[in-house]
Amino acid sequence: MSRVFDIFRFRQKKTPLHSLDPRAKFAILLALSAASLAFSDPFSLSLLLLVEVILLKIAKSLSELISSLRGLTSIMILIFILNYLTLPSGRLYTSIAMSLRFLSLATAFSVFFLTTTPDELSTALEVSGVPREYTMMFTMSLRFVPSLARDLQTVSDALRARGLELERGGLRERLRNYTYLLVPLLVYELRRSLMVAEALEARGFGAVRKVEPFYELRFRAKDYLTLALSCCALLIIALLHLTKVYSVFTSELARIIP
Amino acid sequence: MPLVELKGVHFKYAGSDEYSLKGVSFSASRGECVLLVGPSGCGKSTLLRVLNGLIPHFYEGDLEGEATVAGLDVRSTPIHVLAKHVGMVFQDPENQLFLSSVEREIAFGLENMGLARAEIKRRVEETLRVFGLEELRYKAPYELSGGQQQKVAIASIMAMEPEVLVLDEPTANLDPLSALEILSLVNVLVKDEGLLTIIVEHRLELALKFATRLVVMNDGRLVFDGDPRTGVLFTHRLIGYPPVVITYNLVRRRGLTENFTPLTPEELAEVVAEACSRRKQS
Repeated sequence: MSRVFDIFRFRQKKTPLHSLDPRAKFAILLALSAASLAFSDPFSLSLLLLVEVILLKIAKSLSELISSLRGLTSIMILIFILNYLTLPSGRLYTSIAMSLRFLSLATAFSVFFLTTTPDELSTALEVSGVPREYTMMFTMSLRFVPSLARDLQTVSDALRARGLELERGGLRERLRNYTYLLVPLLVYELRRSLMVAEALEARGFGAVRKVEPFYELRFRAKDYLTLALSCCALLIIALLHLTKVYSVFTSELARIIP
Repeated sequence: MPLVELKGVHFKYAGSDEYSLKGVSFSASRGECVLLVGPSGCGKSTLLRVLNGLIPHFYEGDLEGEATVAGLDVRSTPIHVLAKHVGMVFQDPENQLFLSSVEREIAFGLENMGLARAEIKRRVEETLRVFGLEELRYKAPYELSGGQQQKVAIASIMAMEPEVLVLDEPTANLDPLSALEILSLVNVLVKDEGLLTIIVEHRLELALKFATRLVVMNDGRLVFDGDPRTGVLFTHRLIGYPPVVITYNLVRRRGLTENFTPLTPEELAEVVAEACSRRKQS
């Protein structure tokens, strides 16, 4: 499962996409996900996917998508099967489209998260008026993932050292074993959160309502260009729908392909 | 006027039956380096928490007596105001670093103080330079070694330019070499910055190199407060002899006549060298 999330974990790289303002990248994300939801035929969605793949290629992050493709495929197959079994007509056609829609949505989000540092993201949120408590919560929830993973390892090692086999037995026995793991882990994390809270207090957290963040976000020409392009894309999608051009296109398609 | 002043401080944590501090009176001024020692559970950490206002604002309980830090009454001053005067470094470096890069970590306290960005940038650059952290500035805290993490923690506190630096067992989670490095850093800070430093540290022989004063606690009370040399001899049953003193005692039993208890390896070397040269002369 961890491989699936690889496409959402930020990687430091020097590419045109990485250096965009996070707000501009958010506009791209909006346009891409709106397009994924607006189109419902395999051809448009494939075209959209191609655009996303090109974006990932520009961001030099195509390998992350490929490495998590295995996990994504299993979910796509699940979506395909569920659609195929429940749809009344045009089953193959729509099922393929729904799987592609999932992939293009996942890829759209990966374009954003792979190229935006958690710091940039929290700064962007803070600048947009989200209270510091929430942006800190967001930053810290990412920051403490490795610590939590290590704590989990420590506790399960301690349990194994005393002869508990976590992976043994049927479902019921395993569930019981995991409660042995969960209780000490919970205590561990509660204690950790208390220490973190102490340290936050010691650094004067919450003293000033309006802080000036260390990182500065600057909207440059290329950011405006990205924003304009994304808005154009959104407009075109809206027009295709409002003028019924798209619905004519899909019904034509449905006639050709059974 | 002393920077830190406690008068008859009693404290009992909410839900506890016994007092953790039983009438502690203590005062210290700028330029001092106080080494605070005592067995586990003797109230050292509780005492430190009073100094930066975690008690009574974060930990609830009964606080009696007077406690002032930098002229501010701890009881009526919020923690974030005290945080500008008292910088506190904790035992576990990992839990005091919350952000995803070293430079932002150092900026965090400054942001909270409400400083302008230009001033934050200036202080971050200066702190990175002084602590030699320039190369690590974009690293995430979890990518660093324990010693580096603690160094960043100290740097991010020092960037706030406090008058009192409080360190609660800063080397407890570190390997011996990193511990030595961190304590040497503290040593330099104590000598250069002229602030009041209060440090809880079990590695006596390292901390005694720079401590100007020894305070020994037991069961919520101060049992010794004064000159480190006298203190080590007076309270060794409680805090144990540092290895240097053990060595000195062994050498004395073999006939060394000098009567000067060394507290650091350097002092021991001096005592032994002096004895040797005197023996040569006679």
